[in-house]
Amino acid sequence: MAAMRALRIGFAVILCLSAIACGGGGGTTSGGGGSSSGGGNPPPATANTASVVVDAGPMGDNVNTLFTSVTVCAPGSTTNCQTIDHIQVDTGSYGLRILAPVLTTLTLPVETLANGNSLAECTQFLDGFSWGPVALADVKIAGETASSVPVQVIGDSRFPNIPSGCSGTGGTQEDTVSEFGANGILGIGPFELDCGDCDVNMEGLYYACSGTTCTGTLVPAALQVPNPVTHFAADNNGIIIDMPAVAATGAVTLSGSLIFGIDTQSDNQSGTQTVLTVDGNANLLMTFNGQTLADSFIDSGSNGIFFADSSIATCTNTQISTFYCPGNTLTLGLSIQGNNGVMANNLTFNVGDTQTMLSTAPTDTFNVLPQLAGTLPAGNDASFDYGLAFFYGRRVAVAVEGSQTSVGTGPYIAF
Amino acid sequence: MPLFRSLEFKLASLPFALLACALVPGIACATLGEPEVSVQTDVANLHASIKSSADRSGYKVHEIQLATGTMLREFIGADGKVFAVAWNGPTKPDLRQALGKYFDTMASAPRAKFHNRKHMRIQQGDLIVEGSGHMRALTGRAYLASAIPGGVNLGDLH
Repeated sequence: MAAMRALRIGFAVILCLSAIACGGGGGTTSGGGGSSSGGGNPPPATANTASVVVDAGPMGDNVNTLFTSVTVCAPGSTTNCQTIDHIQVDTGSYGLRILAPVLTTLTLPVETLANGNSLAECTQFLDGFSWGPVALADVKIAGETASSVPVQVIGDSRFPNIPSGCSGTGGTQEDTVSEFGANGILGIGPFELDCGDCDVNMEGLYYACSGTTCTGTLVPAALQVPNPVTHFAADNNGIIIDMPAVAATGAVTLSGSLIFGIDTQSDNQSGTQTVLTVDGNANLLMTFNGQTLADSFIDSGSNGIFFADSSIATCTNTQISTFYCPGNTLTLGLSIQGNNGVMANNLTFNVGDTQTMLSTAPTDTFNVLPQLAGTLPAGNDASFDYGLAFFYGRRVAVAVEGSQTSVGTGPYIAF
Repeated sequence: MPLFRSLEFKLASLPFALLACALVPGIACATLGEPEVSVQTDVANLHASIKSSADRSGYKVHEIQLATGTMLREFIGADGKVFAVAWNGPTKPDLRQALGKYFDTMASAPRAKFHNRKHMRIQQGDLIVEGSGHMRALTGRAYLASAIPGGVNLGDLH
């Protein structure tokens, strides 16, 4: 196991050197604004295109997790900056969040409310929560800049006391790189803000802190953590994730592009793709195995294909008992309907045997596992979560709510 | 979904079943594994209001509308104890309140291999906590496997 992990890290380092703007041994580099890029394959980053990669991640244990590098600077500074590698690219959330320990040379100013209190956030994920202040930063990715944009600094030692209302939401406290599984997360889903209602009647996410005492608060939209793409000076109406196809059994790594803007440059033009608008929860309606699943979603931040099908065996290995182990690979059908009624019919996906993937060469060293699939709760409100595997071999556009492109108005996902 | 919608319709069409448990002594919305008591305390702690209560076959459901916009449902068996809670909405409920003593049981569960921020399933003794969802749309439930009344479909616990 240790040897396998070392091998994975080795591959990751090799890839890091060749394909993506990476940091030094500590995971970051400091000084000098803007991103850098290596040569080789894929092409170096251009003004609106960042390199992305699926690799083992900072702890060496990730699968199907997409990463990029982001440069953050103190607002207005071109020298007080750090480039952070292994920021997860997530179309299922909104906002840039960085783990405090990777900000080794940079202290970002915490936002203050009108009453002088500092602003902190309890970000809720399905499996846990992340606590930390909201700070201002200039966020630079490829050639794009979002100036003085709110970002969350997770696990900041200046805010040590997690309110009980935050920890009470349960699950894992994801406040370290180890627990988070990334140096940060770049939420670039189809909405603008990480909270729909926090300026008027929802006090569960944001907190006003006086000293180390924090109390739930409403917060004006302008102070909330936004999808940073919406704050770029240009190319700010959405993103395109363009990933090459990968062998059915997977690969050690996979590199692709994160392109900013839709129909704003020659490299991000819409074509004849299917445009599916998402509903008020950013969900789609998927039909699988005769079930209509209204709360379904396509998500670059999910590391498998997750759905309920009691006819497929789950793995007997208790470590992976929520994943499918059908023995032979299954090919299953799926259709997806947008909120606009547009259908993407006759899609197929494969479900591999998870135990075989993990215990048999060469897939046991792979970080790209397109056939990795697991369970979700069955029931009348069941969901289908089509994770990063959906993006393999596709060019997927995510248009932000209210934004115009040549093929529609966001929020939509198109492929 | 069609089943879910028809069920909602049924609730709406049966006003006698819509007992606001905050207003009716003896009908309560409480904590997983605990008797159905003292709804006022629970609701106050959750900054919530009771939307409705209904009898289903073999059990009762209380719907608690949280101020955050999230709906919390508590399922009470014939023995008067809460055997499941379920939630969906933009944020999770205060599970320390809703799970009671089982909150620590959930916290003690080891983290799963290939854990992911968009879904979870914990099985720790009799307790199962599971869900899926992404930022601004989270769905989950917790239940005591041995306490599910006979004939109850897990799919209805949402």
